[in-house]
Amino acid sequence: MAKLVKTEAVVEGRTEERWTLVEEDATPEWAPGAEPAVIGEPATRLTAPARLTGTARYTSDIRLPGQLEAAVLRSPHAHARLTSISLDAARSIPGVRAVIGPGDCPDFDGETVLHEEPPYAGAAVAAVAAETVGAAHAALAALDPVWEPLGFVTDLDEALESQVFQDDPSDYERGDADAALASAEVVLECEYVAPAQLHNSMEPHCAVADWQPDGVTLYSSTQAIYQARSQISTAFGVDSDRVRVVCHYMGGGFGSKFGCGHEGILATELSRRARRPVRLVLSRREENLTVGFRTPAKVSFKIGAAGDGRLQAVEASAVMGLGTGGWGYPVLEPVKSLYACENLHLMTLPMRQNLGPAAAFRAPGVMEGTFAFEQALDELAAQVGIDPIELRRRNHADADPGTGRPYTSKRLLESYDIAAELAGWEGRDALRGEGRIRRGMGCASQYWWGSGGPPAYAEVRIGSAAKPVLTVGLQDLGTGVITACAVVVAERLGVRPQDVTVRAGDTDLAGHGPFSGGSMTLASIAPAVRSAGHHVRTQLLELAADMFEISADDLELVDGEVRSTDGTLRHPLLEVTGKLGNAWVRGSGSRAPNPDGMAVNTFGCQIAQVAVDTVTGLVTVERIVAVHDVGRIVNPMGARSQVIGGILQGVGFALSEERVVDPTTGTVVNAGLEDYKIPTMADLPEVVCEFVGIPDPKLALGVKGLGEPPVIPTAGAIGNAIAHALGVRLREAPYTPRRVLEALG
Amino acid sequence: MQVALEVNGSPHEVEVQAGEALSTVLRDRFELTGTKVACGEGTCGSCTVVLDGRAVLSCLTLAAACDGASVRTVEWDGELLSRLRDAFTAEDGFQCGFCTPGQLMSALALLERSPAPSRDEIIAAMSGNLCRCGAYEGIALAVARAAGDGA
Repeated sequence: MAKLVKTEAVVEGRTEERWTLVEEDATPEWAPGAEPAVIGEPATRLTAPARLTGTARYTSDIRLPGQLEAAVLRSPHAHARLTSISLDAARSIPGVRAVIGPGDCPDFDGETVLHEEPPYAGAAVAAVAAETVGAAHAALAALDPVWEPLGFVTDLDEALESQVFQDDPSDYERGDADAALASAEVVLECEYVAPAQLHNSMEPHCAVADWQPDGVTLYSSTQAIYQARSQISTAFGVDSDRVRVVCHYMGGGFGSKFGCGHEGILATELSRRARRPVRLVLSRREENLTVGFRTPAKVSFKIGAAGDGRLQAVEASAVMGLGTGGWGYPVLEPVKSLYACENLHLMTLPMRQNLGPAAAFRAPGVMEGTFAFEQALDELAAQVGIDPIELRRRNHADADPGTGRPYTSKRLLESYDIAAELAGWEGRDALRGEGRIRRGMGCASQYWWGSGGPPAYAEVRIGSAAKPVLTVGLQDLGTGVITACAVVVAERLGVRPQDVTVRAGDTDLAGHGPFSGGSMTLASIAPAVRSAGHHVRTQLLELAADMFEISADDLELVDGEVRSTDGTLRHPLLEVTGKLGNAWVRGSGSRAPNPDGMAVNTFGCQIAQVAVDTVTGLVTVERIVAVHDVGRIVNPMGARSQVIGGILQGVGFALSEERVVDPTTGTVVNAGLEDYKIPTMADLPEVVCEFVGIPDPKLALGVKGLGEPPVIPTAGAIGNAIAHALGVRLREAPYTPRRVLEALG
Repeated sequence: MQVALEVNGSPHEVEVQAGEALSTVLRDRFELTGTKVACGEGTCGSCTVVLDGRAVLSCLTLAAACDGASVRTVEWDGELLSRLRDAFTAEDGFQCGFCTPGQLMSALALLERSPAPSRDEIIAAMSGNLCRCGAYEGIALAVARAAGDGA
């Protein structure tokens, strides 16, 4: 029986209440101590054959009959008014099939897509669709726009002075921070500056729209097929059941691809006008001007503590540069929730600037905030003269500090133990050296959500070939969630993950699933998948029980066989499914809500070891020890890869990545990958990755999310390691050779 | 202009425009969309193909200059590439897979000229292929594994 229930979900720090449809779930958890088969064993990716032979069709590979190519005219100015544009001249170029300018395109989530007064360099002004890329660019050249440049604000300090907010400032108080600071034994003040980090997914944002009289199909590189569907439905007034969004293979998103994007709206409008399919693929430079960035922030602290390092009060403010979009990401969440501290006063100021819109970037807010706060805590540890890990232990929160809610599980203290042991933390002072190369070791803690939750649905069917087919309303942005889902099905049905076919990435398939974000995907979908698999298992065992004249309770599915639990009966599963002919045994499942009144979080600790060349200023990250407490690990192979990937994005943030804006023109000077430096293979540190690995006892399957956690502590740990190496604290990332040499004097 | 081009072992005559990139000809004319274009300006390595035995950036290679050349892409079915695919699978040398065709082609060119590369050689040969998912550890191990499996 399905029923509607009201549930609370925490999505990247924002709590939402929503009604969701839930089916009754009789799937039993494993008995305590009984380890499931398959789950927890390394599984290679199901997508390997397609991705490694070039047959995987990404959105930018889609080519429909009659497809046109689109291109976009963008403002070269940080702020300008378009005084004239020659749309008709563009329409007269041979091969051009549609040209649109300001006012010709529906809004996207209430925002203008084609601007008459473009508010940042890169903002779209007009778009064309033509038979070839060459004709599209010739049409852009014919548009002959005339601009009236206007005043702009890109600098964060100027943005603060302007007092123009992109999102509402937040003000959070608990206890009495003023009074506690006045009486604190130790008071520390410091400010950290976090850079704007650009996503640079290898696959640019792209869309192929096919407008037909009976509905729209949008092929989209998206982390959220259902969100994309509703955005197209709203923008164009087409019933959502007549909008189909497809994303079979996706080349990364990291938070920048929630929904259909402006490219989806533009491609759809051009397709509607041209009556032809239209493809729009952003260039790397368009990508880095328009699709988002990790919010740059200036984070200031005034920390009051007892002489033993226990936090008594924190006053903190975060000035964030959101450009022209995004929301007030929870930069100060680590201050609020990572440690026990009774007196807080926290303010975030999300400023508007004449820059592209900010977008979520893997642990938005929390990563930047952790970078700042975990270094401030190391400064406190130095001031009171205690070991940095010991300081963190002394401030451990036994319940959620903001709400007082108990955790479903928390193994942060164990994470410290394991990490310290693996890193050789005790001997860290002996590393430092006196010569040209100085070494250091630093740690940082990790806090994030990642509970997952409803709504998430799955369907499993099995036919005569005994190869299960799983259908889920997901997209796989590259994390490996599809493979993890196959592992969960394989466990219930006693087959290998490679035997499972997963159908996903298409809103016309059965089964609405979560977006790929917030470290929620697997934790949301896996229980539904397991439940669907369990229903199929139950039916198969009943069929086998009839065939072999034995009670279904005495049968199990193992290694492709139906076996009696006493071992006397063994038949290939094919013998049972072979009787099905062309029929299927089918089962469905849905995700139940999380327990009420509890905090569901993930935790962890990373320890970085760096070598700093005091002559060149170059920082090399030699090793990262990463220990994360994210519940049960479904596929350790994919999980390790996720951790290394997160760490590398943290290394980039700490050492080399920074969007640079020319203050005289307000334009981004390093929008290409030659100047914007993401880590390469040569920058890969040794990674020691461990999971606490204990299933969360309050969650179905015990699974929590892993996407965000590994990126969160890396940069802070690196900063602390540099300070340990040099005895000098750098407070503005990235820690480039120039900044290191300046700090050394 | 007409260009003679051997593509993955098959000879072809293809009409190309002056200024047209090899990546465009491979993707649009031959429908070999395995070759990916992630920057279009030679900075990321995604479009790497093997041209007459050398790894080249196909987005910066003029198709018109390839007359008489032999090009191999991720769709090639040679034994060494098959071994690399197995190794990338076993070592989890990719996540989203968008940079992977370029990674495979750089690795193929490396192993053809240096069948048993050192770790430093692997890093030198592969550092021009960016991977934002950060699969570098798996990639480096996979290249070494493929070399070892062929020894």
